[in-house]
Amino acid sequence: MVNNLNIMSANPEKSSGQIVVKNLLKRYHTKPVLNQLSINIDAGALCILVGDNGVGKTTLLRILAGLVHPDSGEIAIGNSGSSREPQDRRMIGYLGHQSMLYQDLNAIENLTHYARLYRLPQANMIISELIQSVGLEKSQHQMVRTYSRGMQQRLSIARSLLHDPEVLLLDEPYTGLDKQGAQFLDKRLQSLHQQGKTIFLAAHRPHRLLSFASHVAWLIDGMIAEYSPVQDIPRHANLAAYLQESA
Amino acid sequence: MNPFWDYLNAIWNILRKDLQVEWRGKQGVPVMLVFALLVVFLFNFALQLSPDLQAGLAAGLLWVSLAFASTLGLNRSVSLEQENKAMDGLLMAPVDRSAIFFGKFLSNFSFTFLVGLVLLPVFSLFYQQNMFKSMLVLVIILGLGAYTSLGTLLAALSIQTRTRDVLLPVLLYPLALPILIAAVEASRSILAGQPISDYQSWMTFLLACNILFTAAGLMFFETILEE
Repeated sequence: MVNNLNIMSANPEKSSGQIVVKNLLKRYHTKPVLNQLSINIDAGALCILVGDNGVGKTTLLRILAGLVHPDSGEIAIGNSGSSREPQDRRMIGYLGHQSMLYQDLNAIENLTHYARLYRLPQANMIISELIQSVGLEKSQHQMVRTYSRGMQQRLSIARSLLHDPEVLLLDEPYTGLDKQGAQFLDKRLQSLHQQGKTIFLAAHRPHRLLSFASHVAWLIDGMIAEYSPVQDIPRHANLAAYLQESA
Repeated sequence: MNPFWDYLNAIWNILRKDLQVEWRGKQGVPVMLVFALLVVFLFNFALQLSPDLQAGLAAGLLWVSLAFASTLGLNRSVSLEQENKAMDGLLMAPVDRSAIFFGKFLSNFSFTFLVGLVLLPVFSLFYQQNMFKSMLVLVIILGLGAYTSLGTLLAALSIQTRTRDVLLPVLLYPLALPILIAAVEASRSILAGQPISDYQSWMTFLLACNILFTAAGLMFFETILEE
């Protein structure tokens, strides 16, 4: 239950996709997973979240997505300042470990379901373009149950982009993707970054992203140990060494 | 955009999605129906009751069949959203999360009511009772409404647990006992041809349960689903 969660008030001067987190605390049972975590990600940044297994990357992203309630701390996403108000969730696209797709529906039906929930105008056109862009046009009428892991991941990426969110929270988005799929995702992320979307992305193997990401955040034991623009990584010896090891 | 229409739209879309998934997969209603029919057949052949006793038991057996079938449907409803964490997709939607409760409640109710409608002629045949009475259908609507609204809430509660298949009936049956007693008593009175004044209090109780559990869903569903 919430003990001390402050949702920061709206700041009209803030850019639409800025993410501000202050003193975030989340415990599972008594063990703190996120321990007074603070981070400020500027609007339009493409920030890679790195860290070992179990340090709290997924928990942080799920809290930002409004799927997990923190014990205390302050969160502000964009102008409205909260990811917990129904309409504010519209600005967030989230890709988790699992696809959030219905196995007995095909690709079009899955995306149509989400498009209806978001009340998207011209949904058919958007869905058609997205399915084409993720390379699933040949299998768009097949039930998701018949898809490979990589195909489900592609469709899941399309689902997270469907409502054109300002902020993208991606948890290990390259999981299951083949070379072609990974290259597609590289291009798509670069394109979204150029459009000014804020992208916060957890990656176990971040090397392929370093050429076009703007920032790297290193999570250790539930706290941000290092947060640096990509070009400044050489100045952070520990972070540079960690990235070298995980390459 | 009008928030009220957005809310109704979300409820309708969740219901429509569940109907579509059921139409495609056929993993809910057929299983519920077969199970309910098996209960009817087993009791009928195992007990070998005289026609007089059969008539008295029809109401009880009808509700036992519906309660068991409904619990199967509720489990299926939970597993549908748990598979691939589709529930997260619903929780991310820009609409008040109580809409998820109403959407899931309506789909659970529709599936169980459909099973109930199929059971009526079967009961008429096996238990020599005229089950086609409008007041009995009303009791089924009220009884299933209360049962599935409580069941939908408890299914949401069990969704986070590893033992949800077991946990749901363990939580549901004791809590739903007053609903089942009221539904059985009202059904028995209707089948015995008693005047409405004899079972009006049971009907009022069922209506109150509908209001209570629907209001509980509206207020607590989001909290229940929070990690």
